[in-house]
Amino acid sequence: MTLREWLSRMGKRDFVPPVRAVDDGWVLQFQDEERDLLIRLMGELRELLTGPEDNPLIIRLFPEAYPEDAEKEAEYQRLMREELVASRLAAIDSVTETLGPEGPALLSEEETFAFLQSVNAIRLVLGSMLGINDEDPADDADEQDSSEHNLYDFLSWILEWTVRSLSPN
Amino acid sequence: MPTTLEPVEVVDPELDDAPTTQHPWVVIVWNDPVNLMSYVTLVFQKLFGYSLEKATGLMMDVHQEGRAVVASCGREEAEMHVFRLHEHSLWATMEQDK
Repeated sequence: MTLREWLSRMGKRDFVPPVRAVDDGWVLQFQDEERDLLIRLMGELRELLTGPEDNPLIIRLFPEAYPEDAEKEAEYQRLMREELVASRLAAIDSVTETLGPEGPALLSEEETFAFLQSVNAIRLVLGSMLGINDEDPADDADEQDSSEHNLYDFLSWILEWTVRSLSPN
Repeated sequence: MPTTLEPVEVVDPELDDAPTTQHPWVVIVWNDPVNLMSYVTLVFQKLFGYSLEKATGLMMDVHQEGRAVVASCGREEAEMHVFRLHEHSLWATMEQDK
């Protein structure tokens, strides 16, 4: 199934919150196609993270710590960039396992946060891809209807529910 | 930041509790067009243990003022905070408090 076909089906999806807090943890409530799509996106994020460092699509995933001090910034990146990549890849591994056929029925808080962080990271990449760079992007209607925009909205929807399920209050 | 939640009451962050001489570094989170307001608030609660009120106030500062100081501490601790904020894809930087 192509992404476009899949997205056209989504409108007909019965409403079920994608993530829900239960007594002992969190449950993911995705259809098989949605799981497959998310696993595929995680794989694509992994490829981006292990590819060229200067790829503009991942710039937002690696902000500067010391924008006004080149020397400290270079030192910070030397020490921390690899660690940040490793942390992101570990979260992707966790999510991929969680979403897979052997995934647990019940997620821990850590697994749910890994899911949250990774879905958000994909949203940031898509945001860069779509050129979302101000508060109300005045994109034309054609662009807003694109598969990528639909996907971006789908991930935003998942993220809102995940945040809600994790919020302590 | 996209506005996906209802407006909330703004609570002034309490950032001036401690003299700056003891906390020479500040951690700043900048507004960005992608991270959801609810997500930013949750991350502040998780990483800093802030109450919902305080986290929401800081998030609104980021959203409305363009930036907010979310922590004030020593350099090593500030680097750790920045790293953890970057793990959550927030646009965080640090600088010496002048």
